[in-house]
Amino acid sequence: MPDRRRNAFVLLLVAGLLLASLAVIAAKPTRLGLDLKGGVELVYQAKPTPAQPKVTPDALNRAIDIMRERVDQLGVSEPEIQRSGPDQIAVGLPAVKNAERAQRQVGRVARLFFYDWEANVLGPDLRPNPSDATVTGGQAAGQSGGLSLYDAVKRASKRAAIHDRNNTNNDLYYLFGPAPQHRLLAGPAESEPELVSELPSRRKPPGAEVLKVSTGTVVVKAERPDKAPKGTPDTYYVLNDDPALSGTDIKNPEQNTDNGATGTGAPIVTFQFTKSGRKKWHDVTRTIAQRGLSQQIPGQPAQASFQHFAAVLDQDLITTPFISFTDNPDGIDGRNGSQIEGGFTIRSAQDLAQLLKTGALPLKLELISQSQVSATLGREALHQALLAGGVGLALVVLFLLAFYRLAGVVAVAALAIYAAYFFALIKLIPITMTLPGIAGLVLTIGVAADANIVIFERVKEEIRAGASIQRAISTGYKKGLTAIIDANVVTLMTAFILFILATAGVKGFAFTLGVGTIVSLFTAILATQAILVTMGRTGMLGSAAAMGAGEQRHRFRFDFMGASKWFFSMSGVILLIGALSIGGKGLKFGIDFESGTRITTGLQKPANEKQVRSVLAAAGYGDAEIQRVSNPELGKTVYQISTSTLQPAKVTQVRRLLDRDFGVGQTFSSQSIGPTFGQTVAKSAIIAIIASLLVIAVYVALRFEAKYAVPVLIALMHDILITAGVYSLAGREVTSATVAALLTILGYSLYDGIIVFDRVRENVPRMPRAAFSQIVNRSMSEVLLRSLITGASALVLVISLLVFGGATLRDFAFALMVGIVSGAYSSIFIASPVLTHWKERERVYVQRSERIRAEYGGVVPAYAVATVGGEPTDPDLVAAQAGVAPETRRRRRRRTALAADDPDQVAPDEFQEMVADLGLEDGDGDGKPEPAAPVSRTSSTGGAKPPKKDKPKRPRNRRHGRNR
Amino acid sequence: MGLLAWAMMGLAIWHFTVFLPDRFWGGIVGAFVGALIGSIVVALLISGLHVPGRQDTDLVTVLYAIPGAILGIAAAYFEGIRRENAAA
Repeated sequence: MPDRRRNAFVLLLVAGLLLASLAVIAAKPTRLGLDLKGGVELVYQAKPTPAQPKVTPDALNRAIDIMRERVDQLGVSEPEIQRSGPDQIAVGLPAVKNAERAQRQVGRVARLFFYDWEANVLGPDLRPNPSDATVTGGQAAGQSGGLSLYDAVKRASKRAAIHDRNNTNNDLYYLFGPAPQHRLLAGPAESEPELVSELPSRRKPPGAEVLKVSTGTVVVKAERPDKAPKGTPDTYYVLNDDPALSGTDIKNPEQNTDNGATGTGAPIVTFQFTKSGRKKWHDVTRTIAQRGLSQQIPGQPAQASFQHFAAVLDQDLITTPFISFTDNPDGIDGRNGSQIEGGFTIRSAQDLAQLLKTGALPLKLELISQSQVSATLGREALHQALLAGGVGLALVVLFLLAFYRLAGVVAVAALAIYAAYFFALIKLIPITMTLPGIAGLVLTIGVAADANIVIFERVKEEIRAGASIQRAISTGYKKGLTAIIDANVVTLMTAFILFILATAGVKGFAFTLGVGTIVSLFTAILATQAILVTMGRTGMLGSAAAMGAGEQRHRFRFDFMGASKWFFSMSGVILLIGALSIGGKGLKFGIDFESGTRITTGLQKPANEKQVRSVLAAAGYGDAEIQRVSNPELGKTVYQISTSTLQPAKVTQVRRLLDRDFGVGQTFSSQSIGPTFGQTVAKSAIIAIIASLLVIAVYVALRFEAKYAVPVLIALMHDILITAGVYSLAGREVTSATVAALLTILGYSLYDGIIVFDRVRENVPRMPRAAFSQIVNRSMSEVLLRSLITGASALVLVISLLVFGGATLRDFAFALMVGIVSGAYSSIFIASPVLTHWKERERVYVQRSERIRAEYGGVVPAYAVATVGGEPTDPDLVAAQAGVAPETRRRRRRRTALAADDPDQVAPDEFQEMVADLGLEDGDGDGKPEPAAPVSRTSSTGGAKPPKKDKPKRPRNRRHGRNR
Repeated sequence: MGLLAWAMMGLAIWHFTVFLPDRFWGGIVGAFVGALIGSIVVALLISGLHVPGRQDTDLVTVLYAIPGAILGIAAAYFEGIRRENAAA
């Protein structure tokens, strides 16, 4: 397709997509994450059950369906329930204030089993003894005769495994502290390592005891007596795990009130039986009734011999009603259903009925992370994120306009188009916007701007080299494209790895970064090019100045390779300090890795740390870490409280206590991370970093050559370790956001590296007689400005996040800032020198260096120098580079004959390319044909001369060439 | 944490190899590999084949990496010289 038509088509496509995007933006709502609108997030880890021995995707999906039904019954709008990794389920419940109830309802397995009580409750001899009231509880069955948890588990642990299809549990392990308290430290868990992994220290404490309850035996918590005084410890029974009925045998559970003839008016749960359930019910109640009758002692009231039936929900005894053999000597017909009484409130009866209605989850779910964000805090976070993004965008716009003038306007227009497309995609997919997601969005603005900068700098180079504007745009895009694609592909791959491995919050960031990178590639490559080419044709870009390509005032002629040993030393010292800091101060890990609960709340009444501690001490958390923090949005008195992991009920208790004494209003937010979740985060972070490094190395090796990949890896390691050192020195907390930022840095810092290597790759055939250090020096001098501009534009965005973003965004921004600075530095002063050192060992470069040394009195000048008629065009520069005194210089001058990177001297390949280019270029001169260009106006010694061929005579564009 | 500190120390020491003539086996990358492997292996041996965790990593632990890094770099250097001589 001709260029003109192609551009018209692209412009039409861009305009069409823009209109469609605007329509989507106007019509569709934006989905905000919990961190931006407030709510509760629960993360569960699924574990197998005897009925479902493996955690399969299908079982997880079934569990999610059931959980969704339960959430619907909670009346939550726009809940988000999704699989996270191979065995986790993340539940997002916006606008839910009561995390405890949400957790109780959504994640409860709700496996209901009915046991013949007296036939299954086990005594000290591990046998049932229906007539022994000290074992069964007698008339107060289920409430009296229970044991402490330790005693119950100890008793159960003595019983051998009994494998039966009816078993409701696998082997379970418990970890108890030393005597005499025997406090439960961890468990029940399905294996001993899992048990230990629940401990913050990951080690079994001295004196602790692990007890195993084998399958076939189950420890259940006793009912709480109605009039039990507050503080009465829970008691437990040991049961033979042989239930008569299960939750699948009942149907139509409903909350009702006990309004029968002898009714108490209390809330109850009524239900019907399924066909098979009805028979089982009848059979078991008959057995119970007949056993009661057989044990009746003459002269004693019948009630004393009534036997019981127990309903157990997730190892909690709910109710233990008796079966009257006087009323139902032949058992109870299940046609009329039955009821569960258990000291319910209306809400708890409703909750149980709903749980039974939705059915049991096929898997056991362990709550491993729970966070609660107040709506106030969410709104504030959104405001801060938008402000940070807005300021960052404005600064980038100013930056582009200042550097690229009219082309900057095109770049800004391209950014606006990018923003419209991206925002429309966010609404269309839809992507739930979270704080990390916004950070990703802001960063992609930088990626989009960088792509334009890389192209524009190329275009400017071409203009300065004498190409027409139209030609410069076309060539600039052609030459800049590979570097942009390489850099963006690496960013995309990192985003993909992050998306696969990261936890839910960071996933949003990775997804946004990935989608943003693809959209930015489209706008930078197609949209900007089409606009610029059209403007070039119509004469709107009339002068080089319009592209910001005026006279180049500065040209870096720094001996990068010569100075590299000093930069290496500087890095070495920084790493040394970092390593010592890690040894001395260590790294401060956030609760994502360490596990624990962090509560942030504003207090309406002024309170000092001591007062807050005394309130917490009353709830048993006197050892909590209490820190006064500054957060004007939450009020004047804001505290951050860190403790070991608290269950939702405990968090609610802390909230209630703080509210009672100081008033917390709507500012209370909490995050609880269990040890399992922390380990998952740490493990996935390490895998993600290693996977990213490998993928990046393979990609660079394929796109460049294997030797280019190693310096890249070393530079990336350097970035990671320096960031770790800076975090240790600064005492900043390492969170999962930091890891996400670190991975982004890997992709982002490669941007600079790839730009440099791309130019090295381009210059290698152009400088066939130069030493590798000279090639790299020249490449760096050509791209340094570009690297500085892209780095600065990214830094501007990151600094705006750091200054205006909230706490989470600041975490991201700090890691990004360190990484961007370190990445830009390492790609220039670490990766390139390592590549130079390594490549210079190759025979071809050894020979070149030897020849150059021979010509320059034993030194290799920093830059290859052009020579005319055997004389260096800039002898002072040569001497300065070689560090030679003026007299010596004069003596050597005649020997200076080097086929160098003289812009006017070209390699054979480039010459051919130029010839081809000239054929396409419109002539600017008199149109007279000139002879085919001689290869060089310079002399050369020892170098391969370009072959002289008969070329067709074509008009030569005198402006074409390369600038010095 | 110990592993991270050792790798950092090894890498830090490697940076100063640019002041030596490039006669390493495998060049500067060979020196890098030598420094990294040497620092980790020797530090592991000193700490009794146990990688110190967060709580166990202190300043002394970090210093375990120094002899290994130097030995690794020296090994790469002398192997490089040996090969050069053999080739000559």
